[in-house]
Amino acid sequence: MEVFSNIALGFGVAATFQNILYCALGALLGTVVGVLPGIGPVTTVAMLLPISFTLEPTSALIMMAGIYYGAQYGGSTTAILINIPGEASSVITSLDGHKMARMGRAGPALGIAALGSFFAGCVATFVVSFGAPPLARMALQFGPAEYFSLMLCGLIAAIVLARGSIIKAIAMVVLGLLFGLAGSDVNSGIRRFTFGFQGLADGIEFVALSMAVYGIAEVAINLERKAGDVGVVGQVGRVFPSWADIRHCIPSVLRGTSLGSVLGVLPGGGALLASFAAYTLEKKVASHPRTFGEGDIRGVAAPESANNAGAQTSFIPMLTLGIPSNPTMALMIGALMVHGITPGPRVMTDRPDLFWGVVASMWIGNLMLVVLNLPMIGLWIRLVRMPYRMMFPAIVGFCCIGTYTINSNVTDVAVMAFFVVFGYLCLKLDCEPAPLILGFVLGPMMEEYLRRALLISRGDPMVFLSSPISVGFLVASALLLLVVAMPMIRARREEALAE
Amino acid sequence: MTIRAPKDFWSGLMFLTFAAVGLMAASGYSMGRGGRMGPGYFPLMLSIVLGVLGAILLLRSLVLTGEKVEPIQLRPLLTLVASVLIFGAMIPTLGLVISLSTVTLIAAFAGRDTRPKEAVMLSIVLTLLSVGIFVYALRLPLSVWPVF
Repeated sequence: MEVFSNIALGFGVAATFQNILYCALGALLGTVVGVLPGIGPVTTVAMLLPISFTLEPTSALIMMAGIYYGAQYGGSTTAILINIPGEASSVITSLDGHKMARMGRAGPALGIAALGSFFAGCVATFVVSFGAPPLARMALQFGPAEYFSLMLCGLIAAIVLARGSIIKAIAMVVLGLLFGLAGSDVNSGIRRFTFGFQGLADGIEFVALSMAVYGIAEVAINLERKAGDVGVVGQVGRVFPSWADIRHCIPSVLRGTSLGSVLGVLPGGGALLASFAAYTLEKKVASHPRTFGEGDIRGVAAPESANNAGAQTSFIPMLTLGIPSNPTMALMIGALMVHGITPGPRVMTDRPDLFWGVVASMWIGNLMLVVLNLPMIGLWIRLVRMPYRMMFPAIVGFCCIGTYTINSNVTDVAVMAFFVVFGYLCLKLDCEPAPLILGFVLGPMMEEYLRRALLISRGDPMVFLSSPISVGFLVASALLLLVVAMPMIRARREEALAE
Repeated sequence: MTIRAPKDFWSGLMFLTFAAVGLMAASGYSMGRGGRMGPGYFPLMLSIVLGVLGAILLLRSLVLTGEKVEPIQLRPLLTLVASVLIFGAMIPTLGLVISLSTVTLIAAFAGRDTRPKEAVMLSIVLTLLSVGIFVYALRLPLSVWPVF
């Protein structure tokens, strides 16, 4: 089987000393930021972008991937122990997990979260290995019209799943696309939206934008909130769940893993959606749904498996189609592009070492997380107590260094300052920044595909309706918009996405 | 005329402003003709869509009732922006040590419960750490001390 030789190649790449080191570093760092409230994987990946440019692209991606799934582990630890979900995707875990901790069963809750995540991680690694190659082969057949429609569909799916108003989300995508166009136009050489600033000739620096919005603007918002009380940590006790617990959870873990794997692939999906959906499903199928919310171990097992599976399978659209399903993926696309690698179907054929290395590293990383995390729980508890005032000056400092060192360009720092104000206003006005970031990354590509498609058809817009694949994506986009506009589903969606 | 949904109203206004800037700038670029899309084509399209969306939000906010905007606290925001700008002004000539210790020290005062002594300590530790990580370990192109 070709897949197995590919996985073997991947392990050959991922198991080198250097890459294991970066994998461990990423997973550990991810756990730390997952534990710390107020700083998430997006911020961390954004802060590490400049560092990643000095690394091999494979190592850089391995480290960033580690941060992403490591954060899912860390987030659940604090959700269970002190009812503060370190990550949005762990919000659901705190419902039953923290109840369990109060009942003196913190250990088994943590244990099942880790074991469920590990199992889901293993399965998701295989899903990526088997699912990605056919998708990439299909994508190789795509022409510019198909790509344009695909990107449109991806952006609309991201809108549907964003929290808050749909109109605002669409507007943020459009604004992101516009921001992405700033700088010299590749085809005409004309400088667009530079307003006479020499430093903007290369466009708005992606790192400056993402650090401003996800780093510093978030700090400004966090500082306005009153410092919350850190809850009481119960006795952790025995970490390993009993056999009865494990048997009780096996169906939930299986359901969570399958649901998470599927939802992760969808654009706009990923860990957050997966955990919410898995919990809802468990409640629906359970024989005694009353126990949910009262410390049911299945309420921890299912969403934890689902969010880890979703986190990993969300790499599929990123690596095979070049479509980011969430902001973290958008940042990774940005990182790959700086290395001269355009994410898309060619990555698998041109850089198999990179693709399979990253896939294999996910399995290694998950193993490390189980081994590292459970014994280190005491340390994580102490970390949670770190006051925010000790953290945010560091975030600001790292963002400044990061933005400046990308091009040694002071304009980038000024651009970051501008977007801090902009990002702050967006957060104040409930305009989610995630669609903006996705639009920003896809903007130049979408324009290029639109240009090429119209060039081939000599300006006839019917080109988008001439291929069944393109029509399929357009119909899917229209359906998504229609569905979300229907009042009944809208109410449901708000309910499901409300924190 | 009353604003019933302040959050929508202000975001509508923000999108309209960006759309207006986009329209003005894009109208200066060539639209292209036939199958040859000019540099102005896509930005113009996007600006129009953005303008329409902004207008919808704005008009809707006069009819439908929505959430209020929580009061803007200027201290954290302005302190953070100022610290970033000061960093930008200092870093090319003054080097990492001076710029970074300044930015972290100023930024620390964006919070309400800042303790001056702690902020100074934190700034020193962060600067030492960063010089170690970014300059010596990662060899990023940064000068440590002022260059004249």
